[in-house]
Amino acid sequence: MAAKQNLSEPSDSDSSSLTDQSVSGRSGNRSLRVAEKERRKNEAEDPFVLALKYFSDVGAGTPVYGNDEFETNLVLVERVAYSKGLSPEAISVMLEFAMSLRMGTGPCVRVLKCLIPATIVPQEPIVRAVVWLGVGKIPISTQVLFIKWVLTVFDMIDAKDQLRAIYGFIFSFVTEENLCPFICHLLYLLTRKESVRVFRVRKLLELQSKLGRQPFLLHLLSLYKVFCPELVTLSIPSRMKSGFRNYNTPWKSALIAVQKRNGSQLASSTSLPFTIKDKTSSRKRKHCHLELPVLSSLVNKQPQTELSSSRKVVPLVQLNSFAQLLENIHRIELPAQMGSLLGSSLALQYLDCVQDESALLRLNFWLGYALHEEFLFYGDGGAYQNSEEALQFLDKLLFTQHFLQEAFSSSEAFLYKFLSVWDGSLLRPQILGLLSNIPVVPSSQIGRLLFEPLMQLFFTSSLFFKCGLMECLNNMLLKWLTWHSVYALEDDLDISLNSHTSINMTLSGFKDSVMELVHFVGRLASVGLQLEGCHTLLLSFVLDFYETVCDTFLKYGLPLVVMPPPGVFYPALFSLDPVSVDRLAYIMYRYKVNLTSAKSQEKVTEQAFHISRQTFREFNHYLVVMVNCLWNSNMFRPGMGVQLGEEVLLKSNVPQYWTSFDLVHHPAFMSYAVDFHQRCWPGRKDMDLNSIKHSKPWSWYLEYLYSQGYDGLKQCFVWSTISRQLTTDNRRGQSLSTQQR
Amino acid sequence: MERQHNSVVRTPLNSVVVQRRSKSKSYRQSYRSCLGAASRLGLTPALTARRLNTSRRAPKSHNITDKVDPEQLTLLLKTEWKLSYVTPLYQFRHTQLKSYSRQLSAFIAAEKQQGLAVDAEGSQSSFRVSFSVVQGMTETADDAETVLIQIHSKPMFAKQDDPQKLVWSGWLACINGNPDYLSSLSKDFICLPLFGSSGPEVLTTLVKSWFQQMFDCCFGPLEISHTSLQWLVALWTNCHTESNIQHLRMIWTLPVTPPLQITYTVDAQDAWELWSSVRKDPEEESEGGEEVEEGGSIDLKEVMRFMQGLKNHFYRHFRLDLSAGSLQQVSTALGSAKYSGRIKVSSDGKNCSQSFSQDTFLLTHTRKDKCCTNIFFLSF
Repeated sequence: MAAKQNLSEPSDSDSSSLTDQSVSGRSGNRSLRVAEKERRKNEAEDPFVLALKYFSDVGAGTPVYGNDEFETNLVLVERVAYSKGLSPEAISVMLEFAMSLRMGTGPCVRVLKCLIPATIVPQEPIVRAVVWLGVGKIPISTQVLFIKWVLTVFDMIDAKDQLRAIYGFIFSFVTEENLCPFICHLLYLLTRKESVRVFRVRKLLELQSKLGRQPFLLHLLSLYKVFCPELVTLSIPSRMKSGFRNYNTPWKSALIAVQKRNGSQLASSTSLPFTIKDKTSSRKRKHCHLELPVLSSLVNKQPQTELSSSRKVVPLVQLNSFAQLLENIHRIELPAQMGSLLGSSLALQYLDCVQDESALLRLNFWLGYALHEEFLFYGDGGAYQNSEEALQFLDKLLFTQHFLQEAFSSSEAFLYKFLSVWDGSLLRPQILGLLSNIPVVPSSQIGRLLFEPLMQLFFTSSLFFKCGLMECLNNMLLKWLTWHSVYALEDDLDISLNSHTSINMTLSGFKDSVMELVHFVGRLASVGLQLEGCHTLLLSFVLDFYETVCDTFLKYGLPLVVMPPPGVFYPALFSLDPVSVDRLAYIMYRYKVNLTSAKSQEKVTEQAFHISRQTFREFNHYLVVMVNCLWNSNMFRPGMGVQLGEEVLLKSNVPQYWTSFDLVHHPAFMSYAVDFHQRCWPGRKDMDLNSIKHSKPWSWYLEYLYSQGYDGLKQCFVWSTISRQLTTDNRRGQSLSTQQR
Repeated sequence: MERQHNSVVRTPLNSVVVQRRSKSKSYRQSYRSCLGAASRLGLTPALTARRLNTSRRAPKSHNITDKVDPEQLTLLLKTEWKLSYVTPLYQFRHTQLKSYSRQLSAFIAAEKQQGLAVDAEGSQSSFRVSFSVVQGMTETADDAETVLIQIHSKPMFAKQDDPQKLVWSGWLACINGNPDYLSSLSKDFICLPLFGSSGPEVLTTLVKSWFQQMFDCCFGPLEISHTSLQWLVALWTNCHTESNIQHLRMIWTLPVTPPLQITYTVDAQDAWELWSSVRKDPEEESEGGEEVEEGGSIDLKEVMRFMQGLKNHFYRHFRLDLSAGSLQQVSTALGSAKYSGRIKVSSDGKNCSQSFSQDTFLLTHTRKDKCCTNIFFLSF
């Protein structure tokens, strides 16, 4: 037996070298076989090997009844099969024995039933077996059993090229009525684009007219349609069950058991990845424009693509995994409707690589149509009636844009129109999400397109809308800055939007747009905070925005520093909420770091990006106010930002009013001061917060505040000792030497 | 014919801003275009929008039969068309019409018998589709030729040798398209933005979905706005001297409960006189220095004045202010147009019988609940 195996070996590998099997796979097989051979040498007298030898050598016409040798050998094979599974060679021998009907049909069925592969199934014996089918002696039920077996182990067959080579031969069995369903399934698994031919389509259509609408015919035809939509026209009823019936019951459980025992996870996905989408809702949709088109292959092929069809294009519908996508990425055929790409995550991956202008245009046409029909033209109630569908649609769109990290131009054009009719509450998160994705708008247009409608919405809407809009604008700014930081580097600061349009966006143009946006948000925030009584929530969103703004130079390399307006600075400074004050301190700290590094870079590179003196002046002014107020207890002194008449202050009857916003008396920190006081002097009955200001308790108090997580304050006050150099050029020394008490 | 198309077509958006945005690219695209690669997600906005003209040139009368085969023309006339707008067709070729005919008939057959595959040749289909080009139905060189689609079928219980009957027809046209938009569109697209259909809704839906799958385009309903209908009132009246419009009929609805529908018919001559009275003095116009050809352009203001005149007259007689309602339908002997997006074009007014006597108003006023029709004859 071993010798025979050795002999048959070379021919095996010869034939497999004809295949396009990968080299690694072959060598893997070889090493496996070497190991097997060795094992076999050791166990030359293994009864199982002897049994196989019996089945390969037994002569035709050997009687079955009363043949004890046959019986014991077959029982042995069955036992091995059900416990460990059969090796490729064993399958090869047993299948040949069974299909050749050397001992009649009885053993044939028995053998087929125990063909449980341990690892893989070689394709040659299957091809031979199919040839045996053609000889025509095998009863139909046994033929069916064989095809069922092939279907079950299909995913374990080592290569399918030879099976595909005899596609036509296998196809000829479809006329056999009982075999037809199973043959169709097998063909379904083997079909490639080149196997779809006009005469085969005709044959199937002929069968269809004879057998009526049979799901197996329909499934095979629908696959043909995927490959050659110009040959078959077909409409799949929405109620049709997906996939072929499960034909693998006799083996499935045994196979799973064997695989479990062997610990091998040859994932046999015998269930079909059938691509027809089950329409989830059969109810008639009123607004079909929000439905994503179904992914289907291109019917309308152009004459010039005849050439490319010889290049073997793969319809996107045929791809089921990312690995397949990668394998075929150079020859993927776009679907008939580009909108369908949005429905599949795999297709989205591909969309990211699509370079074809027309394809993207198609996508934009569809998207623009859907958005306009739903939200702008709604002649029949539109969005207000089916907001659930609209919600899902926009979520999908948002997901896509986030995935591509880019907005579609049609959704952008739509937003500009929609903002002027939007009530600010319909699908707010989605609309704001889309809005935050729009690319940089040139400063000449930004007011009309964005600011005017947004301003109206902002001032007429609730606090929550205001917060949402702040967040949206912050995200928009973040995205613009990120684009800049990525592409400014690559394009060497020449960030023209498009070489063949009249409007090129230069760096200064981009800066203008960003500045407009920051100023706009500054205006909104100032008035918004006033309207909402400096609501902490709104203030928090505003500070989020300025956390982005203060770092534009260092984080995103944009030489632009814009200070917050007083309408934002003072509400934050006098906020009742310590977190806001702390964040303001942090923002001031970041401004300082950005300004100093911009300044030093200006000196080094002598580049003329010039941060205006006005910005430095504003910064210094704010800093002085902040330090005077929180640290020096020097509130309301002449020369400061906030000035009140002496008599007004006296009238207020606040004792020592100049201390009322220092870190001890600031309404936001008062509770900390009291707490600190109690811990510091537990015995004291009368509370004198001013005693915290003595140098020792003061430093303890600061430590105490920092330990509460107020890092912004910490950073702000620690660096202000260094910041003197920065500001002396245009400040009187008095203002900055403030940190010593 | 052209004139009506002109006034109802949702022509591509041509405001400067949107075009600018449409062509701009994100940084990433710009980066790619710097490398010479195709840009992405860019170019023109999908959606066409209504063209809001404040002034139009009065159409000159010309004999359309000079340009268009009269036989084909008769197929387009006297049928009421339901209008839709269409986004540009991808890879549509006027040379492929034969194959489109086959494929559409196969498609209809397959859809009609769900779950039964059909030979793509469409040979056994009970529907015969034919595509044809209507030569000459264009105004400018950029306009794509009009395509006419007809579906023939045998009635259900017809005899073997009964001829197939025309059951559905439709067309796609581009007349006076915006040249900027048309030239900005890539070669892969054909712009035929107006779709008219006449026949069973089922077939319309099938044809539309076939086009969607085949040419990746979208169909949207196209209603004719209140303003467009008012334009038609004026433009048709303006034609009266060249071809008799016989009558000017408008249908208004008033938002009262129960809804009130008013049919307001004006004699052609009266309408014409009112129209001439609100027209700007041509001499006054020529004083402006520019040589404006006679009957040159019509201004929206004139249209509004004309409408106001008609409304005033109505108010004087019936104490009903039509400004509160909306214009739903306009018709003359030249054709009719409805708010719902249906238009009909008659060959010309000459053959229409003189059904209304001079100096007469016909007012039909219909109540929804109780259909009582009162006809008032009044002296103008």
